Amino acid sequence: MFDRDIWQEIFHSIKNNKLRTFLTGFSVAWAIFILVMLLGSVNGMKNGFTGQFADDANNSIIIRTGSTSIAYAGFEADRRIQLRNDDVEYISKSFPKDVEYITPIMNKGASTRYKSETGSYTIRAVNPEHLFIDKTKITEGRYINDNDLYKSAKVAVIGKRIVEDLYKKDSALGSFLEVNGLPFKVVGIFEEDGRDDNAERTIFAPITTMQRIYGQTDEVNQISLTYNPNFDLTEALNFSERIENLLKRRHKVAPDDQAAVRVFNYAQFFSDISNFTSGMGMMSIIVGALILLAGVVGIGNIMVFIIKERTKEIGVRKALGAKPWQIIKLVLLESVFTTVLAGFLGMLFASLILAAIGPNIDTPAFSNPSVSISTVLTATIILVVSGVLAGLIPSIKAANVKPIVALSDK
Amino acid sequence: MIEIKDLHKSYKMGSNSLHVLKGINFTVEDGELVAIMGSSGSGKSTLLNILGMLDGADSGEYTLDGVPIKNLSETKAAEYRNKFLGFVFQSFNLINYKSALENVALPLYYQKVPRKERQEKAMQYLDRVGLKPWANHLPSELSGGQKQRVAIARAMAAEPKVLLADEPTGALDSTTSYEVMDLIQKINDDGNTILVVTHEEDIAHMCKRIVHLKDGIIVEDKKIEQVRAGQYV
Ligand SMILES: Nc1ncnc2c1ncn2[C@@H]1O[C@H](COP(=O)(O)OP(=O)(O)O)[C@@H](O)[C@H]1O
Ligand SMILES: [Mg+2]
Repeated sequence: MFDRDIWQEIFHSIKNNKLRTFLTGFSVAWAIFILVMLLGSVNGMKNGFTGQFADDANNSIIIRTGSTSIAYAGFEADRRIQLRNDDVEYISKSFPKDVEYITPIMNKGASTRYKSETGSYTIRAVNPEHLFIDKTKITEGRYINDNDLYKSAKVAVIGKRIVEDLYKKDSALGSFLEVNGLPFKVVGIFEEDGRDDNAERTIFAPITTMQRIYGQTDEVNQISLTYNPNFDLTEALNFSERIENLLKRRHKVAPDDQAAVRVFNYAQFFSDISNFTSGMGMMSIIVGALILLAGVVGIGNIMVFIIKERTKEIGVRKALGAKPWQIIKLVLLESVFTTVLAGFLGMLFASLILAAIGPNIDTPAFSNPSVSISTVLTATIILVVSGVLAGLIPSIKAANVKPIVALSDK
Repeated sequence: MIEIKDLHKSYKMGSNSLHVLKGINFTVEDGELVAIMGSSGSGKSTLLNILGMLDGADSGEYTLDGVPIKNLSETKAAEYRNKFLGFVFQSFNLINYKSALENVALPLYYQKVPRKERQEKAMQYLDRVGLKPWANHLPSELSGGQKQRVAIARAMAAEPKVLLADEPTGALDSTTSYEVMDLIQKINDDGNTILVVTHEEDIAHMCKRIVHLKDGIIVEDKKIEQVRAGQYV
């Protein structure tokens, strides 16, 4: 294997038969190129999907309500179910060990003005725990605190984009922002990790303040919570089911009513995405393997052709004393060498393309396509094996060439 | 050196069988230069191929330098060919992408001679056939006579016990043919055993013995007065 002479023979043979080496190599290089690009693209999709939700805690649950779709417990269908403050308390009391953070949420449109600059945003009323559920990053000042909540203070934590929109030279922190005609004191500025720009066009305010402004209500639009981060997928899904059942019982909703109480678990979503992308991964491996197989068959064909072309040479070598295994080695090593070299070139080329364009691609559905070391290693092993397979049958055939047949001048 | 007894060989062609060698008996001593003559299709090449272990006989005995040649595995046959035999063919059979020197060195490679020694030895044999200046040329850059001389150098480089030449001059004009025969005679003068298959009278008479083959048997086997090729060159 590491005999210098045989490699010299192989290089010689390759050098003097450039076209056939190119043809052999091209099919493999192409197959590997496609395989790596496919796997890279699947990674890109995965990165795209997961990156979109990077700003939210993965262990979060969102609860919303609607109208009943089924008559139940003496009520007719189409009854509106309203979440209220006491639902929040009820949930945290029912699952004291399982709930990590919980907040009511109320969303309103916000016509906003600072001096002469105006804009329309969303005002989101929350309690202080929302900070941890939304993974909000405070860059200046502070978030809503318990004191604000207690005093129903008109304070606001605003997104970076709003600062950019409305504040020219002035410092936003400590200023008064007019929201729907009422002045709110800006106590904090935040940033979001996710790619959703609109997230930074949000104004956070204490839930108590908003409920007071909007008619002394205790209604909320939504409840967000995070659960014990140690839950696995089954436990997480089981937990959302428990919450759903609890709320349905509390609001007298039929157990099979899908519309009235809706519990959305991110774990479910992430599991769906990862199922989807791993399914895509499997698909691309299968497609890649088929392409590779076609490449291997192609090499096999070319090798058979090469042996035909080299029959005379092989006959001469045998007449000069080449043993069958020496012929096998010669043909096989050439095939493996060509396959591996070509494969590496294909892999290198694909990796370079991914490395060059990957980081520049950043869309919600597709981001930073790339391949891992393990993918590359797997591909390498596949290459060597396919090189051996492609060369094996033709080389055994070559070794069995009868010298007299090969040397006959006919 | 060579001893064959009652050698038979037939080729199967579908349902027919062509009986080519029908009981050949002959012996070749060390240092002989034997011409095997006969018309085309008389079985000369078949005999030479069996002697060269490139093909097997159907029946009969064959002993080469005291070693019985029978039921050889491919590997063993390759080993014996490499150790005992040198081949020269009508169509030269040089490897076209290797230089003259590399062609000559090839049997030494299969003898596992270290590369440096291999190169030196190959060069030495090329020099003996007068082609040292052509060492790095490809076969395509050589004339027919030169190619055959490279082939002879290659056959001799392995220092075989017997040199087998199948119509070595068959593809050459007469002047070149005599040059090649001159070379073969000189190699024989050094004590090497050589068998030359030919159907040309003049070439046969440059050997020391003529074995005449007809219809698969030896019809004549005589020692002759050797005509030196050197006088025509
Ligand atoms: N491999 C083969 N298969 C079938 N017939 C063959 C084969 N080799 C030679 N023959 C036949 O055997 C006969 C002798 O051939 P050969 O030994 O090549 O004759 P020569 O060399 O004297 O011209 C010829 O009729 C030829 O057609
Ligand atoms: Mg013949």
